[in-house]
Amino acid sequence: MAVTTADRRARACASLLRHVRAITDKEGITPSALHALKLKLVALANRTELFPLSDFAMPVAQGRNHPLLVEENDGYGLYLTINMPGKEAAPHDHGIWCVNAAISGRERHIFYRRTDNAAVAGRAEVIQVGEVIVAPGNGMAMADHDVHATEVVGSEPAIGLALYGYALARFPAVVWYHPAFGSTRASPSRRHAA
Amino acid sequence: MARAAKTYKVTIQNKATAIDCGASQTVLEAAIAAGIDYPYACATGNCGTCISKLEAGKISLLPRGDAALSPEQAKAGQTLACRARPRSDLAITWLGRGRR
Repeated sequence: MAVTTADRRARACASLLRHVRAITDKEGITPSALHALKLKLVALANRTELFPLSDFAMPVAQGRNHPLLVEENDGYGLYLTINMPGKEAAPHDHGIWCVNAAISGRERHIFYRRTDNAAVAGRAEVIQVGEVIVAPGNGMAMADHDVHATEVVGSEPAIGLALYGYALARFPAVVWYHPAFGSTRASPSRRHAA
Repeated sequence: MARAAKTYKVTIQNKATAIDCGASQTVLEAAIAAGIDYPYACATGNCGTCISKLEAGKISLLPRGDAALSPEQAKAGQTLACRARPRSDLAITWLGRGRR
């Protein structure tokens, strides 16, 4: 039987997660391990022939995630993400590490640091500490409680790969920061729902 | 002479209060500016915490993620306060309650 693109993609994703497991089992989630994961993910994203858009529905609105491979036993989750021009996300902390790599299009990731002492519920101050444009050939990595905001840059959809320490369906609470309001809010954990 | 920005009346049904909302403001931004404790989390169309029922009026929606507002919810008259800009006077009711 002929080997399809979906077969090749599935094999490549499984191979990636084996390499990822080998790295994290040996090193844990360290800055150097996350850098290594980013390089692995960028290498996979560079194989654009594995990710034809015809295999992935476009968003009904402006943003959609397609699961590529989700490990059993509360393991890692690998997704293809499609975000349309104008799509954005306020500064947020996933509570879990993540690595991104671009297939096509450009997405700006702006990194923040919280500067208040969390003394007042619902209030927070963050300052911008860095920025990277994730475009074909590169990516970005974040540790468990790093804070980033995203926005699609330009007129093309930003299509990429995202690898998380948990499946999206089992995410911890995501903490959002709003510099314009001086506020912070959390969307509920899905750890008990899935 | 610069033309004044268009402003609409937005009635927050949960509070039985009407607030001013500029055409370039979202309902959530106007509510926060008015001191209303409207439920929200991401404020950028990703989480759905500010899901609301549009009881009356017209809006335009800023970009959002598919998971935040399903086509079925939109068809049922639901919207995201964080993405909704008024295009007429509005009446709106929040449906959820976020947490801090």
